[in-house]
Amino acid sequence: MTANDVAISIKKVDFYYGAYHALRDINFDIHAKKVTAMIGPSGCGKSTLLRMLNRMYDLYPNQQAKGEVLFDGVNILDKDIDLNILRSRVGMVFQKTTPFSMSIYENIAFGIKLYERPSSARIQEKIEKVLRQVALWDEVKDRLHRSALGLSGGQQQRLCIARALAVEPEVLLLDEPTSALDPVSTAKIEELLDILKENHTIVLVTHNLQQAARCADKVAFFYSGELVEMNDAAILFTKPSQAKTHDYITGRFG
Amino acid sequence: MSLKQSAYQSEKKIIPYLFSSLMWCGGALILLIFLGLIFELCWQGRQAFSAFGFHFITSTTWNPGNQEFSAGTALIGTLVSSFIGVILALPLSFGCAYCLNELLPQRIARYITAATQLLAAIPSIILGMWGFFILVPLMAHYVQPFLKHLFGPVPYLDLLFSGGTFGVGILTAGLILAIMITPFITAIMQEAFANTPTMLKESAYSLGATKWEVMHQVILPWVQKGVVGGVVLGWGRALGETMAVTFVIGNAHHVSWSLFMPTNTIASLIALEFSESAAGSLKMSSLMALGAVLMVISFFVLFCSQLLLKQVLKSR
Repeated sequence: MTANDVAISIKKVDFYYGAYHALRDINFDIHAKKVTAMIGPSGCGKSTLLRMLNRMYDLYPNQQAKGEVLFDGVNILDKDIDLNILRSRVGMVFQKTTPFSMSIYENIAFGIKLYERPSSARIQEKIEKVLRQVALWDEVKDRLHRSALGLSGGQQQRLCIARALAVEPEVLLLDEPTSALDPVSTAKIEELLDILKENHTIVLVTHNLQQAARCADKVAFFYSGELVEMNDAAILFTKPSQAKTHDYITGRFG
Repeated sequence: MSLKQSAYQSEKKIIPYLFSSLMWCGGALILLIFLGLIFELCWQGRQAFSAFGFHFITSTTWNPGNQEFSAGTALIGTLVSSFIGVILALPLSFGCAYCLNELLPQRIARYITAATQLLAAIPSIILGMWGFFILVPLMAHYVQPFLKHLFGPVPYLDLLFSGGTFGVGILTAGLILAIMITPFITAIMQEAFANTPTMLKESAYSLGATKWEVMHQVILPWVQKGVVGGVVLGWGRALGETMAVTFVIGNAHHVSWSLFMPTNTIASLIALEFSESAAGSLKMSSLMALGAVLMVISFFVLFCSQLLLKQVLKSR
């Protein structure tokens, strides 16, 4: 494996919520243009790790991370990192759908306008591009200027993904993106991940083991703040090397 | 099992029945008190209304010697001073609420929040005295001359800042009102800020937005309703505020373009003249009528802002 394949390299990372030690000595690589799924029971630290990759925890003063997370050769945990630029390169989609209370058009334009002063033609073009990418264009092209809150849950989540894509991130972090969606919408999002990984590195936190098996190339299993096992999805789900992993994927706990 | 009601079951039904009638009584009582108040004010003010008619509201004369009374001066004073109060308090409370909820570390914010709430508990007479002894001289020596210097050369605007710099007047009253209503507006806005969903804020941050961009494009639209609600509540309070205003407004029956000129408000006029009016006199009746006018404009303001709020919400 060459260094080029690694998008993000996590080295000796610890994470604290105040005094609570939430992640212990995590080491692994996230591969470029692959879907990496993080699985594990609630409270195991997988979302915490995800929120470290775009420094979202920085909003909360009592949370801190120690160690090294190398992205593009730079340790993003450093104090002097420009968070706005980091977050433009590492996008995020949340568990609940979070459209802003603006029109569909404005929701996407919001992100674009943070980085440039585009002409309205360019915005239009970009909006069409990202909405096509998430297969939402045909459904909303006639009501771009209506409130995004009128969309269905699945449409809202695809809009949120489109909004994140409009900023042109290299990495996309997804925090249980389908946990609030119906099976049909879930399937659409999962299909979408397959397409998106051609150009993006995707990190997916999920509670749904089938989803991890369906979508992920690599799977990392976390248990109580530690990385138990990380491997190709096919190997981890069929021949796990750790007893804990075996117990979890066969449904003995979790 | 018999389908007929047992004694126990019909007994059980009495309690909800009693409870709901009690609640109905409570609700009806509020409405009754309210209607009674309006009726009483109008009834007591009937002498003034029949003597002056519509002129009672439009005229600005207040001449006890000639038995001429009207609400015009005080009405303008009430509206303008409370408007100044709201205009000054709005950015102040917004900044306060934003700072306390989004910027400051929580353990510091907790103390400052408590302090703003204490500010709301200061009796208005204390603020009135403070205004009279501290604020009025400050206004007279520094603020008013400065404003005069600043806006003096500007056509039209100079009218607002003309006249002597005595310190008292409608601007000072507005300032005191702003201080009084800021804690209320702040509290409501803080509530609104706290209710903004965390994930919504985080998703704006996750796109790389700065604190300012998140605030004015995501949080602000979300808290709009709370902001309007806070302003309405504050305005309602400012309209009826009596003691603090009476101390600093100068109490003159005089309407002027200048914000430095002494004038009065409905509440301060009633407070000052009440003890000097004989029961059954035309003056007493005029004061009652003034009270009715104050109630009507309070409602009008509330009603308008509700309407405005509906419009704002509908357009979104």
